[in-house]
Amino acid sequence: MSAARVFGAGLAIAMTFAVAWLSRAPTDFAGDGDALIRLSWRVDGVTVEACETLSEEELAKRPIHMRNPQACIGTIAPFELVATLGGQTIVHDTIWPGGIRGDRPIYVFRDIPVIPGRSVLSVRFEAVVPEGTEVDSAVSRLTWEGEIELAPDDVALLTMDDHGAFVLRTPGPAASD
Amino acid sequence: MIRRFRAWGRIVLARLDGWFNSLYTWRYNPLYHSGALVVGCFVILLFTGLYLLLFYRIGSPYESVGNITAQWWGGRWIRGLHRYISDMAIVATVVHAARMFVQGRTWGPRALAWMSGVVLLGVFFLCGWTGYVMVWDVHGQVLATEGARIMDALPIFAGPIRRTFVGEEALPQAFFFLNLFAHILIPVGIALVLWIHVSRLARTYLMPPKPLFWTMTGLFTLVAIVWPIGMAPKADLLRLPTEVPFDIAYGFWLPFTQQMGPGWVWLAVIAAVASALLVPALMKPKAEKAPAPSWVNPRFCTGCEQCYHDCPYEAIDMIRRDDGREGFVGFVNPDKCVSCGICSGSCAPMGVGPPERTGRDQMVEVKAFMEEASLGGDDIVIIGCFHGAAGEGIREVAGAKVYQISCVGSLHTSVIEYFIRAGVGGVMIASCPPRDCWNREGVTWLEERVYNQREAELKDRVDRRRLRIVYAAEAELSVLEREVASFRSQMSALDRALSEQNIEIDVACVVPEVSVGEEIGA
Ligand code: HEM
Ligand code: SF4
Ligand code: SF4
Repeated sequence: MSAARVFGAGLAIAMTFAVAWLSRAPTDFAGDGDALIRLSWRVDGVTVEACETLSEEELAKRPIHMRNPQACIGTIAPFELVATLGGQTIVHDTIWPGGIRGDRPIYVFRDIPVIPGRSVLSVRFEAVVPEGTEVDSAVSRLTWEGEIELAPDDVALLTMDDHGAFVLRTPGPAASD
Repeated sequence: MIRRFRAWGRIVLARLDGWFNSLYTWRYNPLYHSGALVVGCFVILLFTGLYLLLFYRIGSPYESVGNITAQWWGGRWIRGLHRYISDMAIVATVVHAARMFVQGRTWGPRALAWMSGVVLLGVFFLCGWTGYVMVWDVHGQVLATEGARIMDALPIFAGPIRRTFVGEEALPQAFFFLNLFAHILIPVGIALVLWIHVSRLARTYLMPPKPLFWTMTGLFTLVAIVWPIGMAPKADLLRLPTEVPFDIAYGFWLPFTQQMGPGWVWLAVIAAVASALLVPALMKPKAEKAPAPSWVNPRFCTGCEQCYHDCPYEAIDMIRRDDGREGFVGFVNPDKCVSCGICSGSCAPMGVGPPERTGRDQMVEVKAFMEEASLGGDDIVIIGCFHGAAGEGIREVAGAKVYQISCVGSLHTSVIEYFIRAGVGGVMIASCPPRDCWNREGVTWLEERVYNQREAELKDRVDRRRLRIVYAAEAELSVLEREVASFRSQMSALDRALSEQNIEIDVACVVPEVSVGEEIGA
């Protein structure tokens, strides 16, 4: 066997290993050692009806079969989201319903990097409605407060349970692999 | 800039080709077979994938892959092979695409192959993405969450699809079912796009030579056995993945996109795809520089169908004559013709070819060349393909004058006969190796015409000892020099060649009304 043949065979093997290595390059995706608070839920929204009583003249302009004296427009109210960790505000936002006409459910999805450790998390999610509007408070105001402890790279998920109440999920014990 | 990039790439590729030829011979040089190797990879993926499918469970994806990996006699290396070969497919695709790019095989009738190639590459990526998500380890998790984050920038979903991967509860089986469905369905799409990809080519060369295919399969199997794929930690949506075994071929974009907003990611994707799809438009030469398509002169065409059979791009049809003569006549479809000139070499009566490159034009040219070069019985003339070792800019190799031609497949055999009857000692044809032919089948047809009586064949009366066909790729000038020396010593054993006067090259087909001698000015 000539030296070129041996070299060629060696190179072929090396190239095969190199291609195989492509699929198993160990990569450190570790962020900066932060933990994550994730807020994720969906609410159908709180409909706020704004009604007005039409005047005689306005009614007179309408066809005879369209003279409903009350004109109401229903809209889904936006929500205010406030979260604090250890007394510091980490989110303060107004969240609008989805869809072009604003009539779709409200989705909340936030990933907030935080410094790992033990702290008090407090979250308030509340519909913004005009003063005096009557709304179902079970849907229009959700709150959660409690102490959480997060290690680096842990994710604490605040979400909603089947009854529409906030529930916190934290990672189980680290997989020992 | 794109042209300079191409010129630079051509130099690199030529060096690599030459080097690989010296190690593996032109027959098994993997760079020459890159497109076919991708198809070979696809076949291996289908077989290994079918095996893996037998054991994969959408109800417990990670655990079932774990079970496959635990089968030391089967699953372990089959899974490794499936994975390694999918990386090989990407590597070979990139080489194949780069090759087409630097050879300028991107525009005109080839644009369809180029564009569908871009689609093929995209679909391969998509298939790899679903494949990694199937395993549902941390790598799959990163791909899934990052993919969802990017998709969420599109205003087409009712709610953020990222919410699927927040860790609220175990992922629904439906997700893994859909993912598996996509992973199986995408290859059907690949096969379909591949069919479009090669639809303009005659006699598509789909599979690599058997020894090369089995060597590739064997080598990757070996690596899969000695360097098996293990199980990365299971996906845990309540933990940020840190150390992730990561596939560069399929996930090279992850480290970049993770730093970018999804809108920017889409912009980058659109920019990359658009620039790839724009290559045919950017590389197209200006109208006055673009080689013109071939054309059949109906006066000379006898309807023999040879050009119709030989055209590597299926650009020639036979249509019924409308000039009062019986039968059919060749017709070149200019939208399909890449102007390779191969039909010029097919036509005994010299009735077809791109302007200024038909057999007739070649005869005029060879006479002028002989007059100027004044070659004699001790001389060798090299007929060099423009893209090979005796290509662009080379006038002489080891004392032998070079007569250049755009592709050896376009060479009319009458030119060879003319050289020899004019008293040149020997004719050496310097061709690119067969799988490196820029026009796919140039040297294949040339050899058939010279040695196997394919129309338009080299006449029996021509002494084959005075002729040699040599494969020498662009960077293999030294190979050509060696061949010239050895050809010279072979010729020294023959009697000195004599020059004929008033050479009449007759044509096999009878051409009504016109004598070829008249037309080519003999
Ligand atoms: C991903 C899978 C791909 C496969 C399996 C594949 C396979 C092939 C095959 C088998 C041929 C025919 C070779 C022959 O018969 O001469 C071919 C031709 C071609 N491929 Fe691909 N290819 C792929 C991707 C690409 C890509 C990404 C590009 C460029 C962006 C590309 C550009 C071309 C061109 C331009 C030709 C035509 C060559 C010519 O007409 O001279 N291909 N491909
Ligand atoms: S090879 Fe020449 S004669 Fe035969 S069909 Fe083509 S153009 Fe006509
Ligand atoms: S030059 Fe002739 S052989 Fe080449 S693509 Fe055109 S018609 Fe076909």
